[in-house]
Amino acid sequence: MALKTAMFIAVVLVAGATAGTIHGLANLVLVEPYLDGAIMIENQALFASGQEEDTPEFWAEYESYRIWQKEGQVLASAMLGTSMGALFGIVYVLSRDALPKGHDLKKASVLAAIMWFSVYLVPFLKYPANPPTVGDGETVVLRAVLYLSFIAITGFGAVGFYQVYRRVAKNRKFVAFAGYAALVAVAFALMPPNPDEVAIQTELLDGFRVMSAVGVTIFWTALAIILGALWQKLRPDSEAKLQH
Amino acid sequence: MSNSSMQVTKSPRKVPVAAVVALGLVFVFGLFVVGFDQGHIFSMAFGEQAFEDMYIHELTHDLRHAAGFPCH
Ligand SMILES: [Zn+2]
Repeated sequence: MALKTAMFIAVVLVAGATAGTIHGLANLVLVEPYLDGAIMIENQALFASGQEEDTPEFWAEYESYRIWQKEGQVLASAMLGTSMGALFGIVYVLSRDALPKGHDLKKASVLAAIMWFSVYLVPFLKYPANPPTVGDGETVVLRAVLYLSFIAITGFGAVGFYQVYRRVAKNRKFVAFAGYAALVAVAFALMPPNPDEVAIQTELLDGFRVMSAVGVTIFWTALAIILGALWQKLRPDSEAKLQH
Repeated sequence: MSNSSMQVTKSPRKVPVAAVVALGLVFVFGLFVVGFDQGHIFSMAFGEQAFEDMYIHELTHDLRHAAGFPCH
């Protein structure tokens, strides 16, 4: 039991950290060019307002700072991956018997798709990611509360309507999907919009948002594959079999 | 799973509660550090200055934007 518990935790953390690192490396290629572009707009504003001077010293310091931040981005992705992997592992171990029968790769993929949709994609459509310069520092706490509240509604809503799905007759399953859609629609309509004004060119904004979403989707895909494959191979939940 | 002939018991599989609690802490702490800290954690060691430096915010900054967290 103790060994299997340690194995369970190890599988979850390794899968999360690895998928997170993949996400971070993908972001270097996908998202960082857009971040550089947005921060360049900020630099021009600093020069224009006289807060900074357009000197070789400024650029030398800027370049090394950005390299540090990009390394930080990969590290932070590994940490976020570990964190989201932990959540995924909890939901997986609690819901595994209810997921489609078969290989764990299949089970993990189904759960990852549901979680990607309910705690990432739907919240993203209401509060899409923004590149630097868009956000107002004064509203960051409000925006964090709105974003987390919305994720809580769409995430716990999915859990709640899954319970409905399980309890209704086979030809009534659509009730659960309709109920979830209604919940999301109401939350979309009632939750206040992002209070900040977006005042950058749409090409930069749209490109950034697409690449940001591609990166997060790569993360959930990698998480499902790695956790599913490790689970299938190492069977961290098999103590019942061993005992009997 | 329940179709497997190896499975003798019908009782639901025990979920390791301690592991779930530990992973829950990893989730909450990790999410706060990566997504929301504005100097809070380092302020425990370095006081008010940490809210000026925002070291963790600066280090995780690019991912906050890339992963859709609210930022600047
Ligand atoms: Zn920012």
